[in-house]
Amino acid sequence: MDSPPDTASMNSSSPTAAVPPRRLAAFVAHPAWGVFSRSMAAIVGGYALAAMTSVFCAVVWTGARGQAVLTGMLLAILAAAGAALWAFATRSAVRAWMGIALPTAVMAAVAWLLGAWT
Amino acid sequence: MKNGFRQSMAWLHTWTGLLVGWLLLLIFMAGTASYYREEISRWMRPELPRSTVSTDAAAGRAVQFLQASAGQADTWFVTLPQPRNPAMTAFWRNPEALADPSKGRRGRFGNATLDPASGEPLQSRETRGGDFFYRLHFDLHYIPVMWARYLVGFCAMFMLVAIITGVITHKKIFKDFFTFRKDKGLRSWLDFHNVSAVMGLPYHAMITYTGIVTLMIMYLPWGVKVAYPQDEAAFYAEAFGGMSEVTTVAEGRATPMPIAQLLDNARAHWKGQDVAGFSVTHPGAANAVIDIQQRDGRRLSIDTPALRYDMVSGRLLEQTPASGAATATRGVLYGLHLARFADWGLRALFFLSGLAGCLMVASGVVLWAVKERPKHAKRGRIGFGLRLVDALNIGAVAGLPIAFAAYFWGNRLLPLGMAERASAEADVFFYAWGAALFAAFLWPRRLMWAWQLYIGAAAFALVPVVNALTTEAHLGVTLRNGDWALAGVDLSMLAFGAMLALCGRRMQAWQPALSAAEKKKRAAAAAASASGARA
Amino acid sequence: MMMLALGLSFSAFTALSFAMEKHQLELHGRQAASVTRRRLWQLAGWALLTVAFALSVVDHGWAQGPVLWLGAMTVSGMLLTFGLYPYRPRWIVPVAWALPIIGLLAALV
Repeated sequence: MDSPPDTASMNSSSPTAAVPPRRLAAFVAHPAWGVFSRSMAAIVGGYALAAMTSVFCAVVWTGARGQAVLTGMLLAILAAAGAALWAFATRSAVRAWMGIALPTAVMAAVAWLLGAWT
Repeated sequence: MKNGFRQSMAWLHTWTGLLVGWLLLLIFMAGTASYYREEISRWMRPELPRSTVSTDAAAGRAVQFLQASAGQADTWFVTLPQPRNPAMTAFWRNPEALADPSKGRRGRFGNATLDPASGEPLQSRETRGGDFFYRLHFDLHYIPVMWARYLVGFCAMFMLVAIITGVITHKKIFKDFFTFRKDKGLRSWLDFHNVSAVMGLPYHAMITYTGIVTLMIMYLPWGVKVAYPQDEAAFYAEAFGGMSEVTTVAEGRATPMPIAQLLDNARAHWKGQDVAGFSVTHPGAANAVIDIQQRDGRRLSIDTPALRYDMVSGRLLEQTPASGAATATRGVLYGLHLARFADWGLRALFFLSGLAGCLMVASGVVLWAVKERPKHAKRGRIGFGLRLVDALNIGAVAGLPIAFAAYFWGNRLLPLGMAERASAEADVFFYAWGAALFAAFLWPRRLMWAWQLYIGAAAFALVPVVNALTTEAHLGVTLRNGDWALAGVDLSMLAFGAMLALCGRRMQAWQPALSAAEKKKRAAAAAASASGARA
Repeated sequence: MMMLALGLSFSAFTALSFAMEKHQLELHGRQAASVTRRRLWQLAGWALLTVAFALSVVDHGWAQGPVLWLGAMTVSGMLLTFGLYPYRPRWIVPVAWALPIIGLLAALV
């Protein structure tokens, strides 16, 4: 995996500059946070996407209610898997979250408009 | 990620595989064993007779028994003898008023395993048989069932992602389709992992996705809550629409038609398909009805059709309605996971594919350690992460087989009359696995691999011997009688023993590959001594 | 029918592996087959897979037939790749003939 960026040498070389801010900056910039963020997007965000997919299908699918609900569940599993792939394939952790949160929000909005939670 | 798409998928594949690999190994092994849970259950209850009685005669005996012992019940359930499970089970539910208060929720129910020939309850040692492995693979053990199912579902999602990313990452999936280069260290482990994964890809993808589907209503209840906000029971009725609820019991009593006739009517209606079992609601009452369940035939779906007859007049009242598309799809996916439809040939293929899955997961976790080791060798000591993985690898890949074999030893050696015998047998499994894990953590070295593999080999290979020493259902008898189910269990033990011994031998005899510099040195020394000898 | 599906899949995979240059070189070195011969092996392989599929469906129906076919391919593919190519390459051709014949006899009996 990538080694952490060498932030120490990038900061100004003033000898009185406090050491803690440099180490804090290095700590926060560590690639592990990116990995953690993407993992959360994949797991937590992925589950939210799946849940909303199942709700969306249940409300939007024409035909018998029971069939719509079951179809939603079958598709939701695949949506969760897709979210995991997206979270790690995309360029940044922020894009990972956006790419999962946006469809979730859109589906939630449409479902709400169609009376899902009234 | 900064890396390319394939590389980030490779990274994801490594971590989704590694983080849950050891638990997945347990799930896969237990699940694969479950393909033969009926045979294992028979092997673990050698006292049960193997009778060949017609379905109708057996049904008649069951009804006689139930009329005598459960005449007051409001529902009877009977599972008739099947080719793979010759015992007959009867299950009944008493009315509220007659519930046994000391048993809590179970106080309304009763059950018995019956001899199909005599209709008498069978006495056999208390054991969960093959059902232990079946339950283990999704309910785990010692933890609340709900937690276990969420955990298993979580692992299954990781597995699904691992499969998809594995395919994306495998650049030469067609070129390397038949490629296995042996005795080449890391290269061989990678080839093995790739081939076991790709050859079994339809199976692995199917079993993982369908596994999640079997519990999807629990994992994703949100659609149900939104579409059926007041009445969730209506979802089950609409989605899995069986037949209507039976009305309250009529006042009068009436003699029912002979069971054999009712079963014949059902068979005629289905043009030959046989009966798996039946349930009777309000037995003995004037409006008693019988629901007759069809046996798994040529369909894949878990949902088998049923017919409802009036028990007194024999009139066909209802049949299971046609399923909606989603219900049918879910039924097929569920059915594929359980493979109840599989005949002996297809079942063997499923079993072997399951073993391929175990090998795929095992080779994956070992491969990671093999790849990681040279980085630590440079530094001169093994880091914490690799040490942990080494210990878990030994404890799971070599330790789990020991646990599986120990379970069978427990079945034969635990005292027949002991209390809580069935859960004691399960405890034996976990004691054995715990010991293997403990030993692996104490000394995670190559020789510990070899020793655990040898112990596993001995444990398996000696099961038929223990069987012969403790029962009359050993190979000498079962082969002579042509009882292939029981003989097959013993023979499989021998086969696993042989395979594990082979693996142990290879682990013991393994030599580290020479570095290029070392090879040059030895070649130079050999040349020098050769020219020295010539001079 | 399981044995026949297994046998035909094994032969089919044998043919398809013979169609690949890397396995030709592995087995025959300088006498590796020409491109045209390899195309024929490819054709034979796919033809055998199709026959295996057809027989599986005829015997087990459209639902279980494809399942049988896929399972047969998994097991025969692993047998060829893990068992024969690395340890007994000379047995490949005899086994590719024998397995379908045994399977056919088993199916007819």
